[in-house]
Amino acid sequence: MPRIGVFVCWCGSNIGGVLDCPQLAREAASFPGVVYSVDYKYMCSEPGQNLIIEAIKEHRLDRVVVASCSPRLHEETFRKALARAGLNPYLLEMANLREHCSWVHAKEPEKAQVKAVDLVRRAVAKAALLQPLVSSQIPVTKRCLVIGGGIAGIQCALDIADAGHEVILVEREPTIGGNMVKLDKTFPTLDCSACISTPKMVAVASHPNIKLYTYAEVAEIGGYIGNFKVKIKQKARYVDHDKCTGCGTCWEKCPSKVPDDFNGGLGTRKAIYIPFPQAVPNKPVIDANHCRVFNNKKCRVCEKLCPTGAIDYEQQDTFIDEEVGAIVVATGYELFDWTKAYGEYGYGMYPDVITGLQFERLVNAAGPTGGKIKRPSDGKEPKTVVFVKCVGSRDEAKGKSYCSRVCCMYTAKHAHQLLEKVPDSQAYIFYMDVRTPGKGYEEFYQRTVQDGAIYVRGRVSKIYQSGDKLVVRGADTLLGRPVEVKADMVVLATAMQPAAGVETTARLVGAPVDQDGFIQEAHPKLRPVETHTAGVYVAGCCQGPKDIPDTVAQASGAAAKVVGLLSHSKMSTSAMISTVNEALCTGCMLCEPVCPYKAIEPKVITERLPGQPPRERTVAAVNSGLCQGCGCCNVACRPGAIQVKGFTNEQMLAEVDAICL
Amino acid sequence: MPVTNEKDWEPKIVAFFCNWCSYAGADLAGVSRMSYPPNIRIIRVPCSSRVHPRFILRAFERGADGVLVSG
Repeated sequence: MPRIGVFVCWCGSNIGGVLDCPQLAREAASFPGVVYSVDYKYMCSEPGQNLIIEAIKEHRLDRVVVASCSPRLHEETFRKALARAGLNPYLLEMANLREHCSWVHAKEPEKAQVKAVDLVRRAVAKAALLQPLVSSQIPVTKRCLVIGGGIAGIQCALDIADAGHEVILVEREPTIGGNMVKLDKTFPTLDCSACISTPKMVAVASHPNIKLYTYAEVAEIGGYIGNFKVKIKQKARYVDHDKCTGCGTCWEKCPSKVPDDFNGGLGTRKAIYIPFPQAVPNKPVIDANHCRVFNNKKCRVCEKLCPTGAIDYEQQDTFIDEEVGAIVVATGYELFDWTKAYGEYGYGMYPDVITGLQFERLVNAAGPTGGKIKRPSDGKEPKTVVFVKCVGSRDEAKGKSYCSRVCCMYTAKHAHQLLEKVPDSQAYIFYMDVRTPGKGYEEFYQRTVQDGAIYVRGRVSKIYQSGDKLVVRGADTLLGRPVEVKADMVVLATAMQPAAGVETTARLVGAPVDQDGFIQEAHPKLRPVETHTAGVYVAGCCQGPKDIPDTVAQASGAAAKVVGLLSHSKMSTSAMISTVNEALCTGCMLCEPVCPYKAIEPKVITERLPGQPPRERTVAAVNSGLCQGCGCCNVACRPGAIQVKGFTNEQMLAEVDAICL
Repeated sequence: MPVTNEKDWEPKIVAFFCNWCSYAGADLAGVSRMSYPPNIRIIRVPCSSRVHPRFILRAFERGADGVLVSG
């Protein structure tokens, strides 16, 4: 007979204010197997835990029931307490009196009390059947894959590499740097964005622990925490980077001009190109969609001129296999495509209605206008510029329901830059709310207001061309009257959304996405850089809209988690996984196809029965690194040979019996 | 199911909730101080796929009036 101890927690008044905890403890004493029961104000506190430890020793308890909050909150805490008392930590069962009883039935305390008794009885019934469990050890490959080479991926890769672990950084564009290098200045300090990000890019390229794959994508991911197998697709660059010196002759002489994505389509680049002068690596790729050679035309100019013979039109995509122990997803954001949704702003018909990111390129000294603010249609300097916030953000009808978090600040920055760079200019900002939560942010916004930016609270209902002006119609909801501004240029603060392809990446790593397509973190508050897949972490805007400081902080947070994982050469797996009783297993392998984690494989064992020659037969074998303990196999198994430890058929049925009493 | 005309009769509902979603959802209901009738008893499972038909039948055998499997 087990010796069960029941510990009923008041959680201050959270449980104690609704339920009669002393009565619960008295009632629990009558349940089969219970030799000791007690109630206490805060069981999770130091004295509370000591109370459990002392009781285990004094009453020789071999099973413990803690009736308190959700096991999702404090199961680990109490398991550790059991371990400190010398008991196997898995001999603990919890009854969820707080989240599932006192908090939700606060208005019906009597019925809640009856329910609480049932909940404790269930926990006691299961506790009686608990078995000590031990976790197994799996090796850890001390190498990390970072997907995405924006500022999040860069920061994360550098932090992990500086801690002494190898990093494989995969970026699908020809250069790392992401969106941050496109920006001109960063709010609220007006640091030059390139000046603070390009040194980090160089640090990545020159770091002995970082292996960089640009113009590459992750094609396949297999395996599990500590032991992922990754296949990387290196897209054909048609330029042999071993031979190329980055001299620049090819892109100077290339005759094909293509709209420049890096500049938001505001300028042109060549078909053989580097995205921007400080690109890392500083060697070109050929855009096969626009290169004449790939479109059956005569050209081959770059091949003829290349002094090192690096051009190779025959180059093919190649695949590289890598093994890593951890993965960080940092695939970033792109801007919501307003031209498909906002007819009232002209569906992109008017060249002088641009996005915030395009404005960044216009004010950027490295941009298509050399840093002079010129409007795209005729190159004139715009004197009156209207900024429209929340285009696609906070607009469920046309865009996204969420706030993109950075637009208020970058619009204030844009207005400041306009007023500073263009004499006698006017900046009108149409806003819904001004949100400035960040260090120095409110002060920056106030400064822009003092600079003379005119903030109009209301939405813009229509933008149309009239002569060489854009007429912006909206409402000033504070004054309660319509507003019309004749503007030279309009800048839309469009919503951030996850970068294209995030679903594919999420599927590859096995991480769920939320309703907006952002990667779902394991817990919004307490596990913000982990995903639900062990060994897969998340950083930056692929998890949700954020500014550069938050992105960098999250990237370093993810790096800390990775370094923590990689600092062990072996790790213990969950103990609550499936186990096969080989004596009962018939080798039917029905469990194999139902397993979502591909954790079950057939295994041939040699059986020796007395008086018979040894014979070989097939049984199921569970890979403890892959098994997540879901129990699909447990249900599919006809002879009952596979059981999930901690959730066996016997334990579950005992729970059902106890709860139905 | 007990056939009864008693007005204050309340069904006894046994719920099997997946630890990762519904059980967490029930936790969230508590954290958000929502309120629901107290005649539901939640059993935590590691995944809704762990719920064997036997568990459901056993609950009915033992007097449950309804079984809720959520995951």
